[in-house]
Amino acid sequence: MNQPESTGAPDAPHAVAEINLAIVSAEALLKACYWFSRDFTCEIRNRNEHVADVILTPRSAASASELAVAKDAFTTSAMDFALREKIEAKTSGIRDLLLAKAFSESGVLEDQPEGVFSDTVEEMKPDGMFKILSNPQH
Amino acid sequence: MARVFYPLERFAPAPAGFHLLPFRFTRLHGKELLVNEAGEFLFVPTGTVQSLTDEHLDTNTELYRDLKAKHFVYDDSSSPLLDILATKVRTKFDHMSGGTKLHIFVVTLRCEHSCDYCQVSRQTATRGEFDMSTATADRAIDMMMDSPAHAVTLEIQGGEPLLAFDVIQYIIPRAKKLAFEKGKDLDIVVCTNLACVTDDILKYFRDEGVRVSTSLDGPAFLHNKNRPRPGHNSYEKAIEGIERSRAMLGMESVAALMTTTAASLDYAAEIVDEYVRREFHSIFLRPISPYGFAIKTHHRTGYEMERFLDFYKQGLAHILKVNRGGYRIAEVYTQILLAKILTPHGTRYVDMQSPAGEAWSVLVYNYDGDVYASDESRMLAEMSDWTFRLGNVHKDTRRTLFTGEPALQMFHASCNQSLAGCSDCAFQSYCAADPVYHHATQGDMYGHRPTSGFCARNMGVIKGLFSIIEENDRETMRILWSWVTGETAIKEVVECV
Repeated sequence: MNQPESTGAPDAPHAVAEINLAIVSAEALLKACYWFSRDFTCEIRNRNEHVADVILTPRSAASASELAVAKDAFTTSAMDFALREKIEAKTSGIRDLLLAKAFSESGVLEDQPEGVFSDTVEEMKPDGMFKILSNPQH
Repeated sequence: MARVFYPLERFAPAPAGFHLLPFRFTRLHGKELLVNEAGEFLFVPTGTVQSLTDEHLDTNTELYRDLKAKHFVYDDSSSPLLDILATKVRTKFDHMSGGTKLHIFVVTLRCEHSCDYCQVSRQTATRGEFDMSTATADRAIDMMMDSPAHAVTLEIQGGEPLLAFDVIQYIIPRAKKLAFEKGKDLDIVVCTNLACVTDDILKYFRDEGVRVSTSLDGPAFLHNKNRPRPGHNSYEKAIEGIERSRAMLGMESVAALMTTTAASLDYAAEIVDEYVRREFHSIFLRPISPYGFAIKTHHRTGYEMERFLDFYKQGLAHILKVNRGGYRIAEVYTQILLAKILTPHGTRYVDMQSPAGEAWSVLVYNYDGDVYASDESRMLAEMSDWTFRLGNVHKDTRRTLFTGEPALQMFHASCNQSLAGCSDCAFQSYCAADPVYHHATQGDMYGHRPTSGFCARNMGVIKGLFSIIEENDRETMRILWSWVTGETAIKEVVECV
């Protein structure tokens, strides 16, 4: 485990998770820190534009093995939030359409969902929801 | 003659590629648990999510076909079947349709009990100025009947509502008359400790089709410790009242709820056994609410959520054992969550809805005419915190209640789909927001999930249920499915909302 120069409390035991910023965005990193905030203070230091060190200082006493576990768990958590971002990027459009369809009967939609969605079955229907949402004049 | 299949070229080829549908995931027991927008789930091998996002998953595998069948992916040979998935999502949110269904009337603050954790901020039994007036009752009934809901539940509580039986007798016929005129179904429940019940009161309930919900915290030593009253006989009164009520109203019209105090934590099995002994077929292992007097007396009644989770796990294990022995009894919280996990449906239980059930699904009319977003909101007001007082029946209409600043502030924090910590959570479809709880415990309606007791409880219970589901023991799953689909079990859940 890497030991940082200083955490603000130099003698406090801590763990350092090394994060590749090409894989994990700042937003994903913050989300991982959020979930660790009950048990750790999380300090993010950018080593350079590609790598950040996250210094995890436990709020109560922790053994070396517990810190090692925390470091691994943090890295896994950060990677998972990066994966979630990728899923979100790939599915946000169809999610908007899905929710628009689900709640269109309530008549509360204020905005048309943006974009064109690949829904061949819906496109074939003359009065399908896809056409209604994609063509306001329909 | 042997049957011959068409040659392979007559069948559609495996798809060359695929697209993702929205889902969330977590890691559990060495696997990845995927949950889609409709709450459908699938356990998959570790690494599957990475393969999905990289679009490297083999489309000619059983895993791929499972992912496709459960709406996690679609390909060129299939439509995304958005209509079906949208219908499933809409079904999950069906509790939102129709408007406020549960209307709680606090007919009096008077009570002859003096429970440490009382959620009601009781007054002494003789102070009649804490009873609801007929003018307030009239306005509250009008407001209830203004709800667009076709079926409404009138829940009468206190204090001890039977101490204001004259108010009950005023409210019920007027509510029934208005319900008839407006073509609404009306269900009536009285929440009482039964200590003051008489045969005349029970006859009235029988004739008016009123159901009774009472309190039973466990065996005598525990119930009497939790619920002090003159004579130290709360348990004996409750049991006698339950038997008399059942004789007059029928078994199905009498339900019981328990509250878990610090004194209860070591007696999970004994509490369950008491419910079995009294022939109940459901039990709700509920943590103490962090409101009202429970805050003042936390040193005597409170505990950490981790301790409650241990209690819940012990209780659930014992309940399953009792079921395996042949007596059918369901744990209500498990039942509510399983219905969300295993079926397309959401829940009518207002504490586990997103958007939160406060105001949207339940309104509370206090004895003085003030209207609150939930019973817990009213308890906060008794502690001089008026954040969730939506208005007053004498000054407001249903429209002004829902468009006032208190309601709008609360609605902003009511959707777990947009809350920090919840928006990415795999369990979002099964969980809730509860701005009132987080305001009361953390001073912030939005809440901080890593330190939230609400989150700890639900995360713990839901993970435990998924462990059971993944283990897939045939007998255990048969019991759990019977809780979700069993007719009596479902009915008893509704009584608790």
